[in-house]
Amino acid sequence: MILENAKVLWNKKLGPSYYKVGLQCWNSHLDVVPGQFVMIRIPGQMDPLLRRPFSIHQTLIDNGVVKGLEVLYQVVGKGTARLSKVKRNDLVDILGPLGKGFMIPRSARMVFVVAGGIGIAPLFYLISNLEKTRHDMHRPVVFLGGRSKRDILCLEELSKKGLNIHVTTDDGTYGKMGLVTDLLEKRLEKQLPDMICACGPSAMLKKVAVLSEKYNTRCQISLETTMACGMGACLGCAVKIGNGKEKYAHACVDGPVFDLDRFRL
Amino acid sequence: MMNNKNEPDLTVNIGKIELKNPVMTASGTFGYAEEFEPLIDLNRLGAIIVKGLSLHPEKGNPPPRIVETPCGMLNAIGLENIGIDQFQKEKLPFLKSISTPIIVNIFGKSIEGYADLAGRIDGVEEISGIEVNISCPNISAGGMAFGIDPQTAYDVVQAVRDRTTKLLIVKLSPNVTDIVKIAKKVEEAGADALSLINTITGMAVDVETRTPKLANVTGGLSGPAIRPVALRMVWQVVRNVAIPVVGVGGIITANDALEFLITGARAVQVGTANFINPRATMDIIGGITDFLKKRNIEKVTDIIGTLKVSTSQ
Ligand SMILES: Cc1cc2nc3c(=O)[nH]c(=O)nc-3n(C[C@H](O)[C@H](O)[C@H](O)COP(=O)(O)OP(=O)(O)OC[C@H]3O[C@@H](n4cnc5c(N)ncnc54)[C@H](O)[C@@H]3O)c2cc1C
Ligand SMILES: Cc1cc2nc3c(=O)[nH]c(=O)nc-3n(C[C@H](O)[C@H](O)[C@H](O)COP(=O)(O)O)c2cc1C
Ligand code: FES
Repeated sequence: MILENAKVLWNKKLGPSYYKVGLQCWNSHLDVVPGQFVMIRIPGQMDPLLRRPFSIHQTLIDNGVVKGLEVLYQVVGKGTARLSKVKRNDLVDILGPLGKGFMIPRSARMVFVVAGGIGIAPLFYLISNLEKTRHDMHRPVVFLGGRSKRDILCLEELSKKGLNIHVTTDDGTYGKMGLVTDLLEKRLEKQLPDMICACGPSAMLKKVAVLSEKYNTRCQISLETTMACGMGACLGCAVKIGNGKEKYAHACVDGPVFDLDRFRL
Repeated sequence: MMNNKNEPDLTVNIGKIELKNPVMTASGTFGYAEEFEPLIDLNRLGAIIVKGLSLHPEKGNPPPRIVETPCGMLNAIGLENIGIDQFQKEKLPFLKSISTPIIVNIFGKSIEGYADLAGRIDGVEEISGIEVNISCPNISAGGMAFGIDPQTAYDVVQAVRDRTTKLLIVKLSPNVTDIVKIAKKVEEAGADALSLINTITGMAVDVETRTPKLANVTGGLSGPAIRPVALRMVWQVVRNVAIPVVGVGGIITANDALEFLITGARAVQVGTANFINPRATMDIIGGITDFLKKRNIEKVTDIIGTLKVSTSQ
């Protein structure tokens, strides 16, 4: 785990409300599992007060060593608006990598990746990582959903990888009009993967959960909750787990990626 | 006394315990300390106060449990904890390996509950002290917090005192009309020290959905937003009790901690700051040391309670 002031390498605008920030880390022991996150704050500021959690979108590798990371984010409030203002060479305080990421079993050959909007942030890293480390696997099938064309992220990079990509938008400005889960179901009728990996709005995740049960497919989802510490100390990030009995897990240490067997949405 | 030519003496005494320095961690903001082990040297802390424990595990409140507010945060964790048995089995072995005194924060649902838990802890050698959280609801009295009524506060503290000879700190609630009255009653009941303040009850509303931002509706406010209130209460209490007072509330930097020490707190606790900067306690200890060095002050006790208030007022 590192806690340091990382140097901003770039902070690129990708559309009306999306940005990518590249951060150079000094510590070289940066082992990242896709799905893990970092807690970020701008040094010396008391407002916003708390760090904000962001998935690791990419690691920046130099001579085989992880030298930094990239975060893909959407401006939704105070903290993300402040982050969008940082410039090259500014310092950003990061804590991480934190939490449990995606665990793709050795036996898995085929993965379906389902992303809603900014949910592609950790999944892009998962896809790149599988491409690099799992030559035994088929290429993942990718489902990207968004409200509108501008909410479909990483399309160019994913296309370059030569992947099978299914796109939907709510307003029909790109891809098929409708919900990403409709396309997922169509595909599931024809082919069952060994694992579905999903991240996105909670309504989408709920549908994915229903589908994974209906088609009896394993599924891992990355959840968003409010977090204060990101390291298991505040117990603020509770999410309900278990069937029937009310029990809570803590998204920052037990997640943010959860296996759906353990979880009830 | 300067133990080394340059290093000021930071030791302070709270009851029968000597602390290396006056900086403790506040309950509920530092987990069971092991979470911070990769980031800081836990042996440098004055004391570690662990997450509030009860006799039996508590699952806590439904989410959302936290929300940020201007310069502060509201929490409604609902006292989730693993219970004393699991604490002893799973957390204590690690805590034993640290040279810093461990203080266990406790709460109960009844006076007997508090007393039984204190009795259990009294026999555990590795635990240096007990901090009693009296800000939680008294179920048998309709859910009003124990710490709001001077007599109930007295009864809880006396029941705990009867069951332990360990250092007994009582943590006061700020959600009262007269904190001095409660402080005096708690002192009379046998507390060795007081810590204040716990969180201030507050709430926040989402105007779009017209729903409370916390599932529990209300929660406890902490962070820099509450520091002036905490400081004022410490100021009122230190002049009215003889036992040491530990200042808590919105301490982020060494300067904040010094405000409390100068006002008369014998030690401080760092809470919400641990979330923002997991190394906050280390920075505060370093900052207090630098402050004393720069002014050639030999020991931290030389600044405690040295607030200069103009007598003409
Ligand atoms: C494990 C984890 C990983 C995450 N990864 C990413 C990521 O890679 N990229 C990214 O952009 N975001 C990510 N998020 C969400 C991100 O943390 C929040 O968007 C951010 O904290 C909002 O901070 P803010 O100060 O801008 O908004 P706030 O001022 O806190 O909130 C402003 C408004 O935005 C709403 N809001 C708050 N959180 C979210 C949210 N999660 N989604 C939508 N609206 C929200 C609030 O309800 C409020 O109305 C992640 C969250 C978690 C828990
Ligand atoms: C998330 C959270 C959990 C807390 N849990 C406890 C607890 O279990 N017992 C307790 O006595 N105080 C608890 N507190 C109160 C703190 O110990 C402290 O009194 C308060 O937060 C004010 O200090 P601060 O502004 O430095 O955070 C908690 C505070 C927070 C923010
Ligand atoms: S965010 Fe603090 S415990 Fe998970």
